[in-house]
Amino acid sequence: MFRIFLGMDVLPALIVIVALVALATVLGFTLRARNTRVASGCGGDEHHLTVAGAEVTLVQLSSPVCSACVAMRRVATELVASDSTVAHREIDVVDEPDVARRHSVYSTPTTLVLDREGHVRSRLIGAVKPADVRAAVDAARTLAVVTA
Amino acid sequence: MSAAKTGANETPEKPFGIDPRGPRFGASITAVLLLVVVLLGLTEPLGSDLVARALQPAALLLTVLVALFAWGAFAGIQKHPYGLLYRALVAPRLAPPAEREDPAPPTFAQLVGLLVTATGLVLHLIGVPGALVIAASAAFIAAFLNAVFAYCLGCQLYVLLVRAGIIRRSAARA
Repeated sequence: MFRIFLGMDVLPALIVIVALVALATVLGFTLRARNTRVASGCGGDEHHLTVAGAEVTLVQLSSPVCSACVAMRRVATELVASDSTVAHREIDVVDEPDVARRHSVYSTPTTLVLDREGHVRSRLIGAVKPADVRAAVDAARTLAVVTA
Repeated sequence: MSAAKTGANETPEKPFGIDPRGPRFGASITAVLLLVVVLLGLTEPLGSDLVARALQPAALLLTVLVALFAWGAFAGIQKHPYGLLYRALVAPRLAPPAEREDPAPPTFAQLVGLLVTATGLVLHLIGVPGALVIAASAAFIAAFLNAVFAYCLGCQLYVLLVRAGIIRRSAARA
């Protein structure tokens, strides 16, 4: 075994190892970018989902057995605790299949950022970083309205 | 679907659930060992008969990994030796977990790992060239994604199968 290790066929093997690690790393970044991002909302009227009195409502579409949903819930709960103009509610995608269809929800958690009128201003896909959630919330607060 | 269902009856919280960093810790050990299997497999020609192939270092190490996957898959991820190691040595040195997760998906992921590595091992023993390296590489990618990116392929598969109704969700999340 040691003879083989010192032999010349170790170099190609090491190249394969490095390539394997590189491939897995690229795959990881690709999956992360795909699974966690802030996407634009297509407006729509989801007034029935807003929480009365809140400037911005985060409607988190979750499913059971979804660890990212737990992480997203924590981020949203922390934001709501520090900002009383924001509300968060969580619904099971199974309970609201129409909402999921209207807003192209293909994975959980997807969190719809609703302004006061119930327009979907953006969609947070995956467990988004607190700073990105805050930015999306602030953007939804501004006056510009996208009506569908 | 009344307002603020937050945390009430969704994914299991406190008494249920495991520290999600436990399986990731195990996956990092598994990833390193799988990489060693690939290296050993690539630097050694295929053995001439069954016994020779079974005793090759790459095959021996992969056999250990197959056994560990079987342990995790059948005894549950919480009873996996790496899980015990994590709880004894690593967890006490870390802050308590920010969230907990259902042990069913990572346990299912162990079963997926078992299927991949066991298939590679069996094909290697039969004498299929490259089977061991390919299976170990595939398992490595999954373990690496879990360890480094917290992306558990087997868990995703579990969720898809539950959603498709092929697996019945465990009663653990009452």
